[in-house]
Amino acid sequence: MGKVRISSIQLFLLLSGFLFGSTVILAPAKGAKNDAWLAILIGGACGVLLMGVYAAIALLNPSKTLVDILEEKLGKVAGTIVAILYVWYFIHLASLVFRDFGEFICSVTFPEMPMVVVIGLFAAVLLYAVNSGIEVVGRLSELLVPLIPVIMLIISLSLFTVHDFTAFLPILENGITPVLKTALSFITFPFGETVAFLMLFPHLNQKEKLKNVVLISAIVSTLMQVLIFFRDISVLGSGLMDRATFIPHLTSLIIPEFNIEPLVDINLLIGGGIKISVCLYAASRALCQIAGINDYRNLTGAISTFCVVLSIWVHESVLDLFSWTEKVWSYYSLPFQVFVPLLLLLLSLKKSKPSNAGTANEK
Amino acid sequence: MYGKIKKRSGIVRIAFLLMILLLLTGCWNNRDLTEINIVAGIGLDRTEDGKVLLTVQVVEPAAIQTVSSGKGKGGGAQPKPVFVESFEGETVFEAIRGILSIVDKRLFFSTAQVLILGERLLQKGMVEVLDFFQRENDINYGMNILVAKGVTPGEILEIENDMDSIPAVYIKETAENTVSRGTVKKTTLIDLIKDIDSGERQPAIGQITKAGDKEIRTEGVAVIKDEKLAGWLDPYETRGYMFAIGEVKSAIVNIPVDKGKIAMEIIRSKGKAKVRFENGEPSTLTIKVEVEANVGAYEGRGRLDSQDDLSILKEILKNEIKKEITQALEKAQKEYSSDIFGFGSYVHKYHPEYWKKVKKDWNDIFSKLPADIQVDVKVMRTGIIKSPVKKDE
Repeated sequence: MGKVRISSIQLFLLLSGFLFGSTVILAPAKGAKNDAWLAILIGGACGVLLMGVYAAIALLNPSKTLVDILEEKLGKVAGTIVAILYVWYFIHLASLVFRDFGEFICSVTFPEMPMVVVIGLFAAVLLYAVNSGIEVVGRLSELLVPLIPVIMLIISLSLFTVHDFTAFLPILENGITPVLKTALSFITFPFGETVAFLMLFPHLNQKEKLKNVVLISAIVSTLMQVLIFFRDISVLGSGLMDRATFIPHLTSLIIPEFNIEPLVDINLLIGGGIKISVCLYAASRALCQIAGINDYRNLTGAISTFCVVLSIWVHESVLDLFSWTEKVWSYYSLPFQVFVPLLLLLLSLKKSKPSNAGTANEK
Repeated sequence: MYGKIKKRSGIVRIAFLLMILLLLTGCWNNRDLTEINIVAGIGLDRTEDGKVLLTVQVVEPAAIQTVSSGKGKGGGAQPKPVFVESFEGETVFEAIRGILSIVDKRLFFSTAQVLILGERLLQKGMVEVLDFFQRENDINYGMNILVAKGVTPGEILEIENDMDSIPAVYIKETAENTVSRGTVKKTTLIDLIKDIDSGERQPAIGQITKAGDKEIRTEGVAVIKDEKLAGWLDPYETRGYMFAIGEVKSAIVNIPVDKGKIAMEIIRSKGKAKVRFENGEPSTLTIKVEVEANVGAYEGRGRLDSQDDLSILKEILKNEIKKEITQALEKAQKEYSSDIFGFGSYVHKYHPEYWKKVKKDWNDIFSKLPADIQVDVKVMRTGIIKSPVKKDE
């Protein structure tokens, strides 16, 4: 297992794909309406910091996965319990993305297809990818993730004629509070979710590039989100944007004369696929380490089946899913995304100071 | 041990390949072209007792082929390229499903080119019936919306003529021609929804009437206020309105000169509606229009070979356009009290505090504000010749 290596460019693409994930259909900052761009920028800035924390943890504990770090810093028992909670968190995250995907396909593309079939088929493909190894997922991301910005560019350019560039005005109509609230939820979705990458960072072949990779991918995806927001609001206007179920999809419907709406499906397949693969990998890898199983592939089948069932069972309807993601998800995620990592960072800093001070100076 | 794993993965592989077979059959609810009815035009109206009256114009692809290939050969009885059916329902969706009791195949709406609303529908408000068209996943948000004046949408859709075998396409193309002349507004579904959603601008929808047995005419707009029909603008007022919102692409404006008339061809135009504020209150509505025009035809006697001549034309054209805009604005203010120009949108964007207070009464405030209309005209070229034919006087 130690031999598994991914290059820095692969990690960059994996991270970017992960960050796009289901944001390609959900427009995470829609709560702030016209000021969403502000929320995205604030949330993005904090998200960059948060991902910096994850990178710092990984750098301070080289070649250790999240489970190793937890057990080392918190002790065997507490560490194992927290690690199990993390496994649950990754599974839950994967199942939410599955559900987003299923709801999207069933709402707009294949309205009469049972959702379990949509999700199940998707899960089968992803299971195959994850079982082939994280290197394969990395190489897949090299192949597929560059398509996301290309598709976005195609959609944005085809909409150039229907833009109303002042649609985002007025600024701060409802005050700063909704902006900050949305910014918080934007930190947790998608940036904080990259905590799953703590299971992947040890595989990076050039450790010194980790920080740059993390920072650049976070900045790139923030900027992309801002651009997408401006595109969506100038096409749809804030009223329709507020009412739309899947904003970017509706935007692509507006394109005059020709229909490239399936491209949004492709974006979701790529982004969501990478997100779920990473979560599945992280969950099964972590569970293996906890239980002392050699090969994580023994668990992927069970875990992905569980994810599929959970995704269908956990929410009653699409609105339930959305309101839950909007209201509960960010608070539910805070311990996993912020508190525990910060604690780990503090503990790592404390421990590494005396021994690593010399090496840090050399750099 | 190793061999066993290898054998197992072989089975998995075969199972996987077999699963792919399932996908190769195509989409879950695959419907071939022969199993759907392709809708070209939709009409919506209300019956006298308040039910939704849906009319659809459905294309028969096979018939279109025989019509076009049979031309000139004088073939016998041709099947009709389209058929029109109507159905009543409590809701739009009920009517759409209910119509299957008289129509053979399921309706396919993505191809719909026009949605024609009836006058009676607009008298009661149209927002309710539009919900279905936003929610359904195969509706084209770019389809044209028109309001039928003096006829029912059903009558419009039933018109057949030889210019295009699909009447809905004929309607759409005609409407688009008129848009470039500036006398009708092209309102797509998304435009209409945006206007209704924002509440900052009252929608104005292109108007369609019957002109004879076989033709339709799209000219003028229907002015909507609070989701109901408030009245109509005639073609000239419509053009003034289109100048003000900057949507005239090419239009012919006739201007009177000493000895005859000149048809000025508008090449480009830009328009912007703003509101001037004084002490936190709106004081004037300003409309700024920039127009580029060429001399299209000089039907009369006169000279046209110096900049001075053109300057005179410029002045006349300016006043002519100003007159049209003023007429449109006055009608919108005095008669209909409906802000179709989108001044409200400007107020909302740049004076959000004030907008919050007056949002509900904006149309009344709008009706009372004085207007400042500035038109900036450039006459660039005179075409192949300069002066018209000289005649002895």
